[in-house]
Amino acid sequence: MGDIRSYTMNFGPQHPAAHGVLRLVLEMEGEVIRRADPHVGLLHRATEKLAESKPYNQSIGYMDRLDYVSMMCNEHGYVLAIEKLLGVTPPRRARYIRVLFDEITRILNHLMWLGAHGLDVGAMTVFLYCFREREDLMDCYEAVSGARMHATYYRPGGVYRDLPAQMPRYEPSPYRSDADLERLNAARQGSLLDFIEEFTERFPACVDEYETLLTDNRIWKQRLVGIGTVTPERALELGFTGPMLRGSGVEWDLRKSQPYEVYDELDFDIPVGSNGDCYDRYLVRVEEMRQSNRIIRQCVEWLRNNPGPVMIDDHKIVPPTREEMKDDMESLIHHFKLFTEGYCVPEGEAYAAVEAPKGEFGCYIVSDGANKPYRLKVRAPGFAHLAAMDEMARGHMLADVVALIGTQDIVFGEIDR
Amino acid sequence: MSSAVNEFIRSFFLVELLKGLRLTGRNLFKRKVTIQYPEEKAPQSPRFRGLHALRRYPNGEERCIACKLCEAVCPALAITIESEPREDGQRRTTRYDIDLFKCIYCGFCEESCPVDSIVETRIHEYHMEARGENIITKQALLAIGDKYEQQLARDRAMDAPYR
Amino acid sequence: MNAKVDNATDTVTIEVDGVEIQARKGAMLIEATDNADIHVPRFCYHRKLSIAANCRMCLVDVEKAPKPLPACATPVADGMKVRTRSERALKAQKGVMEFLLINHPLDCPICDQGGECELQDLAMGYGRGVSRFSERKRVVRDENLGPLIATEMTRCIHCTRCVRFLDEVAGQPELGGMGRGEHMTISTYVERGVSSEMSGNIIDLCPVGALTSKPFRFSARAWEMLSHPAVSPHDCTGSNLQIHHLNGRVKRVVPREQEEINECWIADRDRFSYQGLYSGDRLTAPMVKRDGEWHEVDWETALGEAAECLRNTVREHGPDALGALISPSATVEEMYLLGRLVRGLGSRNIDARIRTGDFSDQIARPPFPASGLPLADIDRLDTVLVFGGNPRNDHPIINHRLRKATLNGARIHFVDPCSHDINYPVAGQYPTHPDDMVALLAAVAESLLEGDDAGFPDGLRELIGETPAGGLAGKLAAALAESDNPAILLGPMVEAHPRGAVLRSIAQIIARKARARVAILTDGANTAGAWLAGAVPHREAGGGAVDRPGLDARAMMEQPLRAYLLHALEPEQDCWDAAAARAALEQADSVVVMTTFLGEGMQRYADVLLPVGGFGETSGSFVSVEGRWQSFPGVAPPQGQGRPAWKVLRVLGNLLEVDGFDYHASDEITDEVRGLCGELQVQTEQPWQVPEYLRTQGQGLVRAGTAGIYAGDPLVRRAEALQATPLAREPDVIIGPGLARELELQDGSVAEVRQGDVAARAVVGIREGVAEGVVWMPSGSAAAAGLGPLIGPVTLTRA
Repeated sequence: MGDIRSYTMNFGPQHPAAHGVLRLVLEMEGEVIRRADPHVGLLHRATEKLAESKPYNQSIGYMDRLDYVSMMCNEHGYVLAIEKLLGVTPPRRARYIRVLFDEITRILNHLMWLGAHGLDVGAMTVFLYCFREREDLMDCYEAVSGARMHATYYRPGGVYRDLPAQMPRYEPSPYRSDADLERLNAARQGSLLDFIEEFTERFPACVDEYETLLTDNRIWKQRLVGIGTVTPERALELGFTGPMLRGSGVEWDLRKSQPYEVYDELDFDIPVGSNGDCYDRYLVRVEEMRQSNRIIRQCVEWLRNNPGPVMIDDHKIVPPTREEMKDDMESLIHHFKLFTEGYCVPEGEAYAAVEAPKGEFGCYIVSDGANKPYRLKVRAPGFAHLAAMDEMARGHMLADVVALIGTQDIVFGEIDR
Repeated sequence: MSSAVNEFIRSFFLVELLKGLRLTGRNLFKRKVTIQYPEEKAPQSPRFRGLHALRRYPNGEERCIACKLCEAVCPALAITIESEPREDGQRRTTRYDIDLFKCIYCGFCEESCPVDSIVETRIHEYHMEARGENIITKQALLAIGDKYEQQLARDRAMDAPYR
Repeated sequence: MNAKVDNATDTVTIEVDGVEIQARKGAMLIEATDNADIHVPRFCYHRKLSIAANCRMCLVDVEKAPKPLPACATPVADGMKVRTRSERALKAQKGVMEFLLINHPLDCPICDQGGECELQDLAMGYGRGVSRFSERKRVVRDENLGPLIATEMTRCIHCTRCVRFLDEVAGQPELGGMGRGEHMTISTYVERGVSSEMSGNIIDLCPVGALTSKPFRFSARAWEMLSHPAVSPHDCTGSNLQIHHLNGRVKRVVPREQEEINECWIADRDRFSYQGLYSGDRLTAPMVKRDGEWHEVDWETALGEAAECLRNTVREHGPDALGALISPSATVEEMYLLGRLVRGLGSRNIDARIRTGDFSDQIARPPFPASGLPLADIDRLDTVLVFGGNPRNDHPIINHRLRKATLNGARIHFVDPCSHDINYPVAGQYPTHPDDMVALLAAVAESLLEGDDAGFPDGLRELIGETPAGGLAGKLAAALAESDNPAILLGPMVEAHPRGAVLRSIAQIIARKARARVAILTDGANTAGAWLAGAVPHREAGGGAVDRPGLDARAMMEQPLRAYLLHALEPEQDCWDAAAARAALEQADSVVVMTTFLGEGMQRYADVLLPVGGFGETSGSFVSVEGRWQSFPGVAPPQGQGRPAWKVLRVLGNLLEVDGFDYHASDEITDEVRGLCGELQVQTEQPWQVPEYLRTQGQGLVRAGTAGIYAGDPLVRRAEALQATPLAREPDVIIGPGLARELELQDGSVAEVRQGDVAARAVVGIREGVAEGVVWMPSGSAAAAGLGPLIGPVTLTRA
């Protein structure tokens, strides 16, 4: 074996399994990884710096574009930090809506992850199935915000608009018989909440399908079991959060440990793994989808029975309704000033974090009392996870790197920011 | 002991793989979930935020009064407005450009507009063929508004109770 | 005021929001809170205006007072406890805000004030979120306040700041509040526009969008513009300005607070002249004339051709055949470079004193002409002799300060060939024939010197001649002598006077004797800078004398040269003797003009036209009449292919191989000139020169006049809105009723004005108070273009 030399090779940044623009510099000894050096920054857009030059609200849209598969969760972390500085609490209905959409986002994210992870490791079908369900959830995004991904829906003080009472429907077309159209529109007869409820009814069966395809599958297990094992202690030391931490058996979830919004009123469980390998993390995420489904059902139930405002009534922070704006002077002035200058946030600093699908997503804002942040720091979970790439990959084979990238659920939007 | 035997039998007869194949097989004969795009479209929310348009009043007068709120609120600085008094002394734009490459379709311009002039339509299938076409001018925006006015009015009316 | 605060007995201690602050005894509460940086909302209060206390926005909670009190009208008292943010105060402020908004129209989106509106700001800070008012709002008919100020009187909240400003500061009570309660409106008294020369300030004062700038109307929003400092290019006071610009265009000009010069006001001329930058006849590309045809060329060609012209002249006719004239409103840097360029070519002929009539004392004069009287001190004068000028027209900021002085009891005497419409009570206006002005001033000196034979300078008595002004001279002398704090202001008429040197010398004698201070108010924005930068034929940069002075501005025109280099002036309107200037330029072999605008005459006599940046388009410095060195950046790129003039001169210097023209930034030039000048010392003294000759009084009529208020330089002449104001539309020629009868002229009729060979048709105005034998005709107007000397013989006939 004396003539085997160590190779250095580039993995990415243009590699289909690199999940975007990851560039890994791998030092190989044969097919075994000796060192994995992730290079970041290829998707850097200076979000934090940009935020310093814009009124607070104008950066909400940029939060969507951090982790672009869990959009509303990012918005959530940002608006929570602003609300903390402003000292305002949104109405309960808004908080329920936020939880509802956080969990929808979690399912969206995990479906994306599952499909892509499966595809990376060799399972084509599950990708298609996951995207089938994602389509419905993106319809929910669109129904509520008008955008299928970058919603810009959460606002400090609540959410922009209440849930629509009517779901958009399929239009008749020459390709559909009336019966067919009726079937397609069956779930769309009622409100958005009805649509979501219908989804939650069939979604557990969908998760069963994914599990049928993967959980016991020998190829899947061969690719995942025992790969990238992280002990609970080491996971904590490495700053893991979310499923990466829970997969190692640490029961830590911000929704339980520091409940925000209305999570303390909801009934759900936190799944944890036992071995800390890729397979456990897979199991944890799959179970999280089921738990999210549970939370969504509770939210739907509550929201149905409790109409009310979705925005606070303070027009020093929140623009008045359009009707008011067109009708009275005070409202017009507030509308005008809020859309040109925004609101001033009291001097101080605040950190607020949410349990995003990938882990703890937090925003740290320093305010000097102006209408734009003095400094915004985004704590993205993926960054800490990617930092552990070297440790997790060392001693594994080249093909396992793909499994590791998959299990870390890397999204470069949030890592490079 | 029996579980080990069970495990061996399951493994030997590829039980889990066959289960998976049964599932995909079932799906093979299910109705397709795909649609015949572009002849057939997926449902679209009245809140949809697509290409922009400038609207007019029913009497043909353009709504925009060059207040520049949309320009001010645009996070991406995609809107450029120049204004001056029109011959009748009214405040009007002489230029209203949106750079579609900069735009992030956040919808703030529509939210800020005090006269419901700038709106985001349902149009999401558009393209550019030459450099510079990404900048969409006032005339083009008004033309889009004129073309889709009925739809736009219907959508705004539908969403009015929520805004 | 500061001096008083130091005195412990004159201060009281009050407590505001739990913080102890010191306040001047007798001060209003709002003054104390403002000094302590505690913000109290207000609309009607303005520290430069009287207290009206009619908006009620500044209500604060004063301990032991039964109800909230207005901070602007409540004097401080020792031990007073005030809370500006207590529940009672907030409730009162909220209530006032609600009332103010009841009748305010929903105009924010179309209102120019939107974004910089005090009503908006305070509504956000102190008002309710949603209105409770659902009844109809009132509507008020609009006023037409002329071409500068746009009105939307429905937006008015009746703070009366504009009324008080015009009344108290501008001295022209042209607006007033009519009616009461809901029917109150702010309106002009007799359907006239506002005609003050400082009227633009009411735009800044208006807390809402009721009064906005007409030229600026709807063109930009406050938040999108960038703001950079500038200095007034129109007069020597050096008013501090702020330019608001957007996308490389100057959008508007507003005052920059400078307590020692312009306080927080500026003249309309400074505020609205930027409009001229975008006039239709802007020169946007370099041009050369070939075979009588103008061609647009690139910079390289144009500069090459310009250098060639100058080089050829020097080679063929010697360096002294070349002369350079520069506007007195050019920057120090431009003057310095032009001076070096001309001297580098061997010529000595350069001058910026284009409107000066008498250069005979130039060697004896101080390093630069200056005012020995800081502008801020004008407020405290008690007797002033304004000799040869109309400060309202020439230096509105000085006029404003003179007005303040009269309000403090000062007595101001005016001597000029024509009496003027002065907006404050004057001690006397004495229309004096230009020829008699010397005699009058000499007589004043004589009265003061009476009994002091030792101090009696040679030749003074002869000046008085046979027509001593008798009573008037004695009166003026007595007024000055009796005063504790007198001053003599020598205006532009002295500068233009063909015997200005004598006038300046006599003024010095009077000043010495009466312990008065002398302010020599110079032409343009930067005459002082011209002397310091070497843009005068007898001084080099830094103020040192040259061995053999070159030709001065007048001589350059009267003794025609072979080639001229002009910068930023239109000789047929700006020169002392426009007719001579035109003739000289037309006979010259080559004329190179650096200009912002394509003047009419230029097209005829110039050979190369180089477009250069105008106001706001070039960095540079001005030296004000107080010796204040003020630098400013260029904020907008020159239009078209224009370049800042210092860069053009730099390249010309390089092309002509003059050493030391390798500057990278205008700062380097500034530093170099400042280094040469050292610390500026304001001096006004100049030794007595025995007058060389005595000019006898001419027989016929004499034209007299300095530049019109909106006609002093190429920029302001092109400012459309200013040209449409009543001040700019004065008749071309003003004569007394006696002369009118003699010539059978009516007010408004057209007459032919003839100076030498040149004649022009001019509209005649008839007014009392024009000295006998004088035809008052300001320069800069279209009618006066190309006529003869500013002060010289003229004939007037019915046309």
